[in-house]
Amino acid sequence: MRKTPLWSTWLLGAPVLVLLFVFLVLPYGEMVAMSFRTPATSAPYGNAWTFAHYLKALGDPFYLGVLGYTLAVGTLIAVLTLILSYPIALHLARVGDRWYLLFYACVVSPLLVGVLVRNFGWMIVLSFSGPLNQILLALGLIEQPLRLLFNLPVVVLGLVHVFVPFMVLPITNALRNIDPALEEASHSLGATRWETFCRVTLPLSLPGVLAGVTLVFALAISAFVTPALLGGQNVVLMPSIVIQQLIGAFAWPFGAALAMALSLAMLIEIGVLTLAMRPLLRRVARWS
Amino acid sequence: MRCLWSVLLALLYTFLLLPLIVVVLASVSGGQVLRFPPEGFSLKWYARFFSDETFISALLLSLRLALVSALVVSVLAVTSALFYRRLSARWRGPFRILVLLPMLLPEILTAIGLLFFLYHLGLGSSMFGLQVSHIVVTLPFSFLAVTAALQQVDLTLEEASSSLGAGALETFWRVVLPLLRPGLFTGALFTFIVSFDMFTMSFLLKPIGGNTLPLALFDYLKYDFDPTAAAAATVSVVFALVVVFVVERTVGLRRAF
Repeated sequence: MRKTPLWSTWLLGAPVLVLLFVFLVLPYGEMVAMSFRTPATSAPYGNAWTFAHYLKALGDPFYLGVLGYTLAVGTLIAVLTLILSYPIALHLARVGDRWYLLFYACVVSPLLVGVLVRNFGWMIVLSFSGPLNQILLALGLIEQPLRLLFNLPVVVLGLVHVFVPFMVLPITNALRNIDPALEEASHSLGATRWETFCRVTLPLSLPGVLAGVTLVFALAISAFVTPALLGGQNVVLMPSIVIQQLIGAFAWPFGAALAMALSLAMLIEIGVLTLAMRPLLRRVARWS
Repeated sequence: MRCLWSVLLALLYTFLLLPLIVVVLASVSGGQVLRFPPEGFSLKWYARFFSDETFISALLLSLRLALVSALVVSVLAVTSALFYRRLSARWRGPFRILVLLPMLLPEILTAIGLLFFLYHLGLGSSMFGLQVSHIVVTLPFSFLAVTAALQQVDLTLEEASSSLGAGALETFWRVVLPLLRPGLFTGALFTFIVSFDMFTMSFLLKPIGGNTLPLALFDYLKYDFDPTAAAAATVSVVFALVVVFVVERTVGLRRAF
C-alpha cells in the first residue's frame, strides 16, 4: 500500500481539533479563569484576580447548604435508580434474542422521548385531576384530590425514571459477561438460587453497578430542567442556583465559581465511592 | 415467587413507558382540559398546534438545527474517525476522550462555558452560536457510531482497491464510504434526535426570538396546561420515531445488497 502522506492525516484531523479546541477547551478554560476574577458592573468581570468567590461559595451557610443538599439528593437518586434498575437488568440479561429488542426499546424509551415530553407526562399523571388522584379517590383511600406536584419526591421520581437506562445498560453488560459455568458450579455445590445470586451473580456484576452509579450520580446533580418543571419554586438545587446567578443576577464570576464547586464536590464523591469499592472489585477480579 | 417476579417486572416496565403513553393519549382528548383518561377522541389540539405560529416557527427552527447538525456532524465524524485510525496507539486514547468530552461533561457546564465564550467573541445569543453548540454536543454520538463501523472495515479491501490502481480519494468514495454507511446513518439518527430534544443548551444560548420546540413547549407549560402541549409533545416524539423508521428502512435496504 502506498504510504499515506502526513499532510493528509492532519487535513483529516484539523476540522475536529479546531472545533473542539475553540468551542470546548477554550470555553472551559475561560470559565475556570473567570471564577477567580473580581466582579464588575460594566463588564462580565473585572481585571483583578481573587479567591473570594470560592470563599463565599464554600463559606456562606446558604450555598454550602444547597451544595450538601444537592449531593444528598444525587446520592438518594443513584441508590433508588440502582434498586429499580437491577431487576430490569437481570431480566434484560436473560431474555431470549427474540424479545431482547422489544425490552431494550422499552428500557431506552425514556431517553428517546425528550426531557420536556417526559416531565410533561409526569405532570399529567400527578396533576390535581390526573389518573393517580382519580385511582386513589375511586379506591376510597382519600376523600380530596391531593396536591402531588412541585415537591422533592416528584423531582426524584422524574429523575430516577430517566436515569434507569444509564443504570440498566452497564449492569446488563456486566451480567452478560458472567460465565454461566460459575453459576452452575454454585448450584451443583448445593447453593440455593438466592445464595448463588448473593455470592456469585451480585458480586460479579459490581463493576457494572459502579459504572451505572457514577454516571447517574453525575447526571443527577447537574440536572436542571426536571427540578425546574416538577419541583417548581419548592425544590432548590445547585444547578438552578447557578443559572439564577448567571442569568438573573449577571454575577458571572460567582456563578462560575459555584459551578466549579459543584463539579469539584462531584469528583470528590465519585473518587471516594470508587476507592471504597476497590477492595471488593479486586476480590471479584480474581475470580473472573 | 416466579409470579411475584413477573408482577414486579411488569410494574417496572409500566413505570418506564407511563409518561409517553399518557402524553400521546392526552393529545387526542376531546375534552377542554388536560385530563386522563381522555374524554372522547378529537384531533382539534393538533389543529390548534399546527395553526399556532409560535409552535410552527419553533418546530421549523428545531428541524433546521437538527438537520444541519446531522449533516455537519456526519462529515466531521468521518474525518475524525479516519484521523483516529491513523493515529499512533499512544495518541488514540487522548483523542478519543477529547471527542467524547461533550458527552461526558455535564451539559449545563458546557452551556455556561459556551455562553461566556460566545459573548466574549461577540456571538452571544446568535443563531451561529446555537448551531455550533448543537454540533459540539452531538459530535460524540456520531463519532462512536462511525468508529465502530470503521473497525468492521476490512483493511485488505482498501489495499485491493489501491493495488488495482485507485487513488486515495477514489478508494474512499467507492470502498470505504459505502462500508461506513450503516454507522453513518446510525450516527446521524442519534445526532438528529439529541439535537431535536436538546433543552439546557438551547435555553442558555438561544438568540432573541429563536425558540426551539422544547423551549416553546417549556414557555407554554408555564402558563397553560391544555392538550395543545400534549399535541406538541406528541409531534416531537413522532418526528424522532419517523427518523428512526426511515433510517432503519434505508440501512436495512442497503444491507440487503
